Amino acid sequence: MSTAEQQRRPEGEDEAEAEGLSRRDEVEELAFPDEAEAEQDAPSPWQPPPLRRPTWQRLTLLPAFLVALLLATCLWFRQADLDTVSENALSGGQVSRALWQHVKLTVISTFFVLVIAVPLGILLTRRAFRKATRVAMTIAGMGQATPAIGLLALLVIWLGTGTKAALTGMVVYAVLPVLAHTIAGLKAGDPTLLQAARGIGMSPFGVLARVELPLAVPLILAGVRTALVLDVGTATLATFGGGGGLGVLITTGITHRRMPVLVLGAILTIALALLVDWLASLAEVVLRPRGLEAGR
Amino acid sequence: MSFWEYLAGRHQQLLTDAGQHAGVVFPCMVVATVIGVLIGIVTYRTEWAGHLATLTTSTILTIPSLAMIGLLIPIVGPGVAPTVIALTLYGLLPIVRNSVVGLRGVDPALVDAARGIGMSRLMRLLRVELPLAWPPILTGIRVATPMLMGIAAIAAYASGPGLGNEIFRGLASPGSKNALNQVLAGTLGIVVLALVFDAAYVLVGRLTMPRGIRG
Repeated sequence: MSTAEQQRRPEGEDEAEAEGLSRRDEVEELAFPDEAEAEQDAPSPWQPPPLRRPTWQRLTLLPAFLVALLLATCLWFRQADLDTVSENALSGGQVSRALWQHVKLTVISTFFVLVIAVPLGILLTRRAFRKATRVAMTIAGMGQATPAIGLLALLVIWLGTGTKAALTGMVVYAVLPVLAHTIAGLKAGDPTLLQAARGIGMSPFGVLARVELPLAVPLILAGVRTALVLDVGTATLATFGGGGGLGVLITTGITHRRMPVLVLGAILTIALALLVDWLASLAEVVLRPRGLEAGR
Repeated sequence: MSFWEYLAGRHQQLLTDAGQHAGVVFPCMVVATVIGVLIGIVTYRTEWAGHLATLTTSTILTIPSLAMIGLLIPIVGPGVAPTVIALTLYGLLPIVRNSVVGLRGVDPALVDAARGIGMSRLMRLLRVELPLAWPPILTGIRVATPMLMGIAAIAAYASGPGLGNEIFRGLASPGSKNALNQVLAGTLGIVVLALVFDAAYVLVGRLTMPRGIRG
């Protein structure tokens, strides 16, 4: 766990944070001896992917890069000679339709992922469900080993080809990482703060709503970002389940060996993925609670 | 035909596919580890260089794998080549980040002590800093491997090797009676491979962790 904790810290603060961490562990041991023991004997099998901390440089750099990338593609595309197969694959607004489908798939699946994972994460960190947390983390670890394409293929066979199968696959695939993020975020809350909140007479709900959740906001936002980026990626696979999206252009390009179609699909997908990641990192900077800034 | 009958009948093909799958993921993981640690060593001393390395590799990870493979096909052609390049690139981020974090986390007093007993820069790196940074690097490898397994499955669409072919065969005709068996065999095969690799990494961790920092 200590490595995962370290990864979440911004560079340069590792040592100070590590000290804070050990102090925190001592407190926890005093407060809940049995739990601290249980947490130490087996390191959690699945460690949430380390957070990428957004910086202002990145926020300005990326749009410039994207504009350059799309302009270059535009220029290259103007001089590329398209044969009939490529024309058929790209004409009649098919590109914009694929793009729109892709965005729709990403947004819808992210919505469902958050609606499922965040409340579930809150529920699993309540005291009554402590045991279940371990089980959930183990399942999340197993889920991490499941390939997205295999999951999608199973759902296509089960539910039939179509948007429904593709969307279900995307949601299932992204729920576990976001759930793990939420649980990790809520658990990372400083127990002394929780005790202080309880000490001044806050109800369990008050502690959750006014202390735990605000403190966990950065991690939950990072979870949102993880979900979005994962979903943009798995949305390219939706084409294998008949769900459309930009993957259609890529697969058409691969099967018919038409490089312009393939490259256009790939570049649009990449641009969309980077743009989504950029927007999510913007949200992380803007929505982070003010109180957390002062300490850092 | 039940799943077990399918497994019994096709075990030869499945084992070959699984072998190919592991055979493409593992070398890529090794190459990614070597490159990633080298990048970590070069960049961990300066704030901006370490930042740039993590930024670049995390941008690579943001790119959907099918798009990455699609972009590589016009350059290197379909088959094993785009698979290997894509897998190595995707494997870099966890390694680079964890080696930078690990190397920066080494207690400066220890490095100073090593300098004090007359170790050269290279010796300090090889005998003190890298062994101490190894646990987080191994964690990075453990995070990256299942991810690469999944990406290798997708690469089968571009004529890549491995268990992904089994999945795509089932996906090509979802109505046929063997489709479910094929997809299940491919998917579970990858899960089992990932778990086997993870167990192996735990073992490697036990064997290679410096005695002084074993918990």
